[in-house]
Amino acid sequence: MAGNTGLYHPSYEHDSCGIGFIANIRGSKSHPIISDALTVLENMEHRGACGCENNTGDGAGIMIQMPHEFFFDECLKLGVHLPSYGKYGVGVIFFPKEIRLREECRDIFNRSAEKLGLEVLAYRKVPVNKDDIGYTALTVEPEMEQVFIACPDHISNPDDFERKLFVLRNYASHTIHETVKKDAIGFYIASLSYKVIVYKGQLTSLQVRRYFPDLSNKRVVSAFGLVHSRFATNTFPSWKLAQPFRFIAHNGEINTLQGNLNWLKTSEKCFTSPYFSKEEMEMLLPIVTEGQSDSACLDNMIELLTLTGRSIPHVMMMLIPEAWDDNTEMDPVKKAFYEFHSSFMEPWDGPASISFTDGKVIGATLDRNGLRPSRYCVTTDDRVIMASETGVLPVDPSIIKEKGRLQPGKMFIVDMEKGKIISDEELKKQICSQKPYGEWLNKYKIRLEELPEPRVMFTHLEHDQVFKYQKTFGYSTEDLDSIIAPMAIEGKEPVGSMGIDTPLAILSEQPQHLSSYFKQLFAQVTNPPIDPIRERLVMSLATFVGNNGNMLMEDPLTCHSVALKQPVLNNHDLEKIRSIDTGQFQAKTLQCYFRADGKPGSLKSALDRVCEYAVDAVEDGFKVLILQDRAIDSNHAPIPSLLATSAIHHHLIRKGMRGQVGLIVEAGDVWEVHHFACLIGFGATAINPYLALSTIRDMKETGRLQTEEHEDQLKKNYIKAVKDGLLKVFSKMGISTLQSYQGAQIFEILGLNKDVVNKYFSGTTSRIEGMGLDEIAKETLTKHFFSFSKKDIPVDRLPTGGVYQWKRKGEFHLFNPQTIHLLQDSTKRNDYSIFKKYSKLVNDQSEKACTLRSLFQFKSTRASIDINEVEPAENIYKRFATGAMSFGSISWEAHTTLAIAMNRIGAKSNTGEGGEDEKRYEPLANGDSMRSAIKQVASARFGVTSLYLTEADELQIKMAQGAKPGEGGQLPGHKVDDWIGRVRHATPGVGLISPPPHHDIYSIEDLAQLIFDLKNANRQARINVKLVSKAGVGTIAAGVTKAKADVVLISGHDGGTGASPISSIKHAGLPWELGLAETHQTLVKNKLRSRVVVQADGQMKTGRDIAIAALLGAEEWGVATAALIVEGCIMMRKCHLNTCPVGVATQDPELRKRFTGDPDHVVNFFHFIVQELREIMAELGFRTVNEMIGQVDNLRLRDNITHWKFNRLDLSPILYKEPASAYTGLYCSEEQDHGLSDVLDWKLLEAAKPAIDEKKNVIASFDIKNTDRTTGTILSNEITKKYKGNGLPDDTIHFNLTGTAGQSFGAFTTKGITLELEGDANDYFGKGLSGAKLIIYPPASALFVPEENSIIGNVAFYGATSGESFIRGKAGERFCVRNSGANVVVEGVGDHGCEYMTGGRTVILGDTGRNFAAGMSGGIAYVYDVKGKFAESCNTEMVDLDECDLADKNELFTMIQAHYGYTGSTVAKFILDDLDNQLKNFIKVFPKDYKKALKQTVLPKENVRR
Amino acid sequence: MGKPTGFIEFTRELPGKKPVDERRNHYNEFVERYPEEKLTQQAARCMDCGVPFCHHGCPLGNVIPEFNDAVYRKDWKEAYEILDSTNNFPEFTGRICPAPCESSCVLGINQPPVAIEEIEKHIIEIAFEKGFVTPRKPNLRSGKKIAVIGSGPAGLAAAAQLNYAGHFVTVFERDDAPGGLLRYGIPDFKLEKWIIDRRISLMEEEGIVFKCHSNVGVNVHINDLLREFNAVVLTGGSTVPRNLEIPGR
Repeated sequence: MAGNTGLYHPSYEHDSCGIGFIANIRGSKSHPIISDALTVLENMEHRGACGCENNTGDGAGIMIQMPHEFFFDECLKLGVHLPSYGKYGVGVIFFPKEIRLREECRDIFNRSAEKLGLEVLAYRKVPVNKDDIGYTALTVEPEMEQVFIACPDHISNPDDFERKLFVLRNYASHTIHETVKKDAIGFYIASLSYKVIVYKGQLTSLQVRRYFPDLSNKRVVSAFGLVHSRFATNTFPSWKLAQPFRFIAHNGEINTLQGNLNWLKTSEKCFTSPYFSKEEMEMLLPIVTEGQSDSACLDNMIELLTLTGRSIPHVMMMLIPEAWDDNTEMDPVKKAFYEFHSSFMEPWDGPASISFTDGKVIGATLDRNGLRPSRYCVTTDDRVIMASETGVLPVDPSIIKEKGRLQPGKMFIVDMEKGKIISDEELKKQICSQKPYGEWLNKYKIRLEELPEPRVMFTHLEHDQVFKYQKTFGYSTEDLDSIIAPMAIEGKEPVGSMGIDTPLAILSEQPQHLSSYFKQLFAQVTNPPIDPIRERLVMSLATFVGNNGNMLMEDPLTCHSVALKQPVLNNHDLEKIRSIDTGQFQAKTLQCYFRADGKPGSLKSALDRVCEYAVDAVEDGFKVLILQDRAIDSNHAPIPSLLATSAIHHHLIRKGMRGQVGLIVEAGDVWEVHHFACLIGFGATAINPYLALSTIRDMKETGRLQTEEHEDQLKKNYIKAVKDGLLKVFSKMGISTLQSYQGAQIFEILGLNKDVVNKYFSGTTSRIEGMGLDEIAKETLTKHFFSFSKKDIPVDRLPTGGVYQWKRKGEFHLFNPQTIHLLQDSTKRNDYSIFKKYSKLVNDQSEKACTLRSLFQFKSTRASIDINEVEPAENIYKRFATGAMSFGSISWEAHTTLAIAMNRIGAKSNTGEGGEDEKRYEPLANGDSMRSAIKQVASARFGVTSLYLTEADELQIKMAQGAKPGEGGQLPGHKVDDWIGRVRHATPGVGLISPPPHHDIYSIEDLAQLIFDLKNANRQARINVKLVSKAGVGTIAAGVTKAKADVVLISGHDGGTGASPISSIKHAGLPWELGLAETHQTLVKNKLRSRVVVQADGQMKTGRDIAIAALLGAEEWGVATAALIVEGCIMMRKCHLNTCPVGVATQDPELRKRFTGDPDHVVNFFHFIVQELREIMAELGFRTVNEMIGQVDNLRLRDNITHWKFNRLDLSPILYKEPASAYTGLYCSEEQDHGLSDVLDWKLLEAAKPAIDEKKNVIASFDIKNTDRTTGTILSNEITKKYKGNGLPDDTIHFNLTGTAGQSFGAFTTKGITLELEGDANDYFGKGLSGAKLIIYPPASALFVPEENSIIGNVAFYGATSGESFIRGKAGERFCVRNSGANVVVEGVGDHGCEYMTGGRTVILGDTGRNFAAGMSGGIAYVYDVKGKFAESCNTEMVDLDECDLADKNELFTMIQAHYGYTGSTVAKFILDDLDNQLKNFIKVFPKDYKKALKQTVLPKENVRR
Repeated sequence: MGKPTGFIEFTRELPGKKPVDERRNHYNEFVERYPEEKLTQQAARCMDCGVPFCHHGCPLGNVIPEFNDAVYRKDWKEAYEILDSTNNFPEFTGRICPAPCESSCVLGINQPPVAIEEIEKHIIEIAFEKGFVTPRKPNLRSGKKIAVIGSGPAGLAAAAQLNYAGHFVTVFERDDAPGGLLRYGIPDFKLEKWIIDRRISLMEEEGIVFKCHSNVGVNVHINDLLREFNAVVLTGGSTVPRNLEIPGR
């Protein structure tokens, strides 16, 4: 793997996959099990990926039981007589290819075995068939050998032998990695066990069977086969990252890995276990070695906990717990189990479907949010088939006993020794009652509310002191009025708009808060963010303060710590903890200050001192450390709390003591949500923001808060805002619990140097260096001396801030009165000389640096040319796009003006996520067109119909948005007028929610699926994937390219927005310079660059910005805010209030009249920008844009950078040029192969020809299997091309299909199509349904009861806009999510049913899971609730549960009648036969807003009647 | 901040003027004051812009949106403190400034701008009435002495700031009363002279010494100043009017 001179780093890699297993319930071993498991693997080919070559896979493999007879024979051939089963172990070793290295490794392995008293019997070379294995994979193919090791006679229990093998594996691996010179492959042991064996490699899933001839040998038998197919974001060869590992196959991502590893590291010091001697334990450590994937680390952890005496299901429950906190329905025994374990083990959090085995039981579990699909089926011949998809193994329907799916947080086990399947309920009941966890908690858990009153009361701050502290800690009036006041009054984080155009913290001249150098990371593509409001039930803020103990043993005392419901402590709670004394639990307060002498080293010695004191305190037995910064005076300044906390946290980790104490921060410099998030992310357990709380009291007392509420209530509101804000920060990354966020360091640092980061924020990404400790001290002292001034000039106001609004004495803004005026003036007058004045002000940041690019200057590497030799401007316009701004967030006038202007110059405008009015598809009389070339597909899928997709030149999948990556949005009801409602397929007046994730993209292979869907929906359109810059975006972009995107857009963090929480605008995401450079470097390194167009956007304002983007690797560019300003925007930053005074970001008809924008002005602007770009090209000697892409050697650092703060930034990683051969493409020069050539739709299209040509009715039949994905979509595209939105008359085309449908069955299918499927289907059934009818029922020969079994997968009818469907059986999670118009009947659904639904009708003739109707603002659901338990599982925040009236009865009758007619459902029959009686069992789920909106439209009519 | 929809609901209104019959009888100010409700309405028209062009347009950098908000909330003290933080003499600028802030006002793009200057005047007059304007003496004196020559607007501002910084300030004025152009160049109907007196006496209470009839270089010797003071600030104005170079003049 290459070094890290550039921005790429191997640690950013992600993977995701398909998994599955087949097991014989009775444990009977056979060869067909293995052969079938390989078939399962082969049928999940589309879930894996291949790299730059089609025959180099990302990795695939299989785990089976030990084939004793086979090995016995094989060893005889080697002249070795194997002992009986259980008396020997087999290891699969990847040796280096080079003989000398190999033998060195072998030698160490043998000696290690000897040291442990184990005898190596033989080595067997694993036979492999290298035909058709990709070149890249072959270059690093290891020498695979199997080692046979005898069990010593004195060990009678095979499990003890297994432990010895574990020690051997770790010890040998550690020793070899330390002593043998590192080579390209490394030594790796895939498995070493007496029970199981793993065959895997960097193969495609189709190659596994051929590569390992052993697997085809009939004597190789097993009772199970566990398979895995990997999709990685890179193309670098790595055989060892293939799965399965030794215990698990994992489909998912551990979001909290860094934290989990830190906590593990700190606990290792306390490890003791009766199963391992002290010496063995030392040989085992470290449990997790560096350079592994997240899944591999999890496997190591599971192995450790299993081999130290817990059963594997028990371990899974510890590491991937259900959502127990706040779940009132959970059995208290189970809850106690989870709570007890949470006192010392934080969840390994993230989306996960895990198949696991210890060789005797095999099972699977799903994360608490159910973000990965897992379908299973049980047959009459005792087999269980479990996989990411149904239909992966052809099974005769007549032998299927049961078809189901794994539910969120649930587990099931096949116990092959006992010969039975154990359900989640039975299994967990047994595990949870094995120890009296509840009693232990009662006895030892310390509850904050039960603690005695504090011994001393806290120090009260008077007005003058509050003011003094505010100055010291850097509060501005903006912080008071725009941040703290809204939090205290409304209990919510304030909202802002229009992005950010202020300097990065490291470039700012205003003294910064230390946390401003920390950028929040967020989930993007490889894992989904969570909706912390609508899916609150999976989130938790509970935590424990105190000692974690030894996690290898079950000790009641491990829960003797303070249980907190949430991490923000008021003063009273804090004092209680400070005074705590249970006899074995006390707290110690440490003062965090440094000498304010401005001398080098003062801060460092202060940190050394507090770290030392912290160690002393832990050694003295204190269980809680309180880090306090109150004790400051003119000579002693506060250590920034984030620095103090993280320094102590990491110091204690290094000492192995962190697990023994809780860290509470009592700090004045904590007031924004981001400050809290940083502290928790770097190790704080709880926080007391004493100054923020005092500030609220003071503002209330001085009348600055316009509210009647009492001070205590205001503080509660503030804490609530912090709590909700924290949940949002976690969920942005896809993390659901505070405990796993704690210490997880989910940040990238921008502007601190390596010494500081390595020592105090160890393990955090920081790529461009920056300030050292002395500079941090200097910045802190600036604030300190503002307060403790030696001069006595009375300063009686706080600084203004000027971050969210331009202020003369505040922060610098690129868009300021001067630049806005010049830009508008120049484009209105069409005067390039004025534009040059504007661009000079923006570009020349030598006085005040603002962006990273401001630190660059051009450097000619070739002779300048005349500007006439540069390609003409007309060639360049097409490379421009305007940003995605929805009709809804901006006005019709503003939206169409941009579209017209862009169409005039051949560039592209973007719909944004609000759909598009059909009338824009017709050209205007003067030849102009209002049609947006780019149609955005965002998470809410507003107005995404077959027509919308067909009318696009480019389809953009918005994975994230610069202003608020990882978050959803909300269009308030007052902005949804009739027009917008129509375009978005929503009810006017009803608020609309955009979910944080795309519910059909939880991982990279899901994104590949959506790209495939969209390509089917419009083969001519380019598919563009929009990403936001962050560390690792390059590897994500590589994955996106492998997922077959045509364009990848890298957005900067600073992009504009209609509305976003202020802290997200400022603290999430990175500048595009970093993301773009990383993307280009990584794509070149992976040889993928030529397959994809790279686009960049984010506050691009001038030709110079564009030129720099081109040199860093972008051949296309987006401009949004500047274009809006040209249209008349004056950066009011009130978009979210609907009061834009210039008619740009408002729907108010009066204000819209004030709009004065003109397409001519916008055209002028692009003329100017391109002119300036061409001037730069001439100067640098580039004739075409293509020539300059990625030619980063034409940039260098400005040489006049002298500012004390940023003169030590190291931007060389951005300016690094990835070496490439002459044949490696540096810009997009080839087309992606989208694999459409052999899809089923071509057959459908052929059969439908008479219907499309002549509207004749057609009927035909087809077979279908799970690899037939996205069925009916090309057909619909062809119909839409001809018949637009009208489609064909109902039922013109009727196709009967038999078998298992792949994902996205019937996606975006239009009116006139009926698809009738006998069999079952996978995820995304009916996605984006646009008028078609989908019918599905089980095969006639099936034995199971249809209504009790799963027939379709998760996320059905996502974003459906019209059409009908009838489903004879159960659906999975998130049924009808964001449905805005389809009418559907189903016989049971999983969790989160009808989430965010805004229209249509859903009839559910069976059970529903939890959290039904969350965020549902329109449409109606009828739930047949015979058990009377529906109300408990419904989220009634936005809906009423009503009885059905006569109109409902008619509607129900019609739909159920149709359901019966199409599917023959016996449930439907029973209800129809007894409708009058059964009607009372139906609950009408009626959204409150929708009801209100309906009343408002109905009332006037009623008045007329009267 | 303020009222988000204020600029839609209200339009610009200026205070009334005294009847012409009455005005004929004197040379005094004739612009009346807003009733309180009108004043807050006018302040509510401020849109609290993301880029407040008024604040940019004001040569002093008055933080206009902030004081508009305080006026809207009727927080007179806060409004005064904000105004005072950038402006030593709002009672002068509120009357005689040409108000570039109003010509920069964003609302002015398509509507009449916010009545910023009137609001400014009201803030300071209310502050005087309510007794917020009190002499503020520096806590610690530096011991340094500074001579300011000329008591026009520049001299007064320099004197006030240097005094706050803790220095002993003496202002030299050749005329018989301080004020310079304020006193001798601006007619009463724009700026009545008691307004200047009010400010001067405050400054005297704050410790500034005014020496009138002191024409430096004529009856005050420059070497005496240099010997007696640590620093001398020259803030003289011009008594030569700017001629309009047009034919017929």
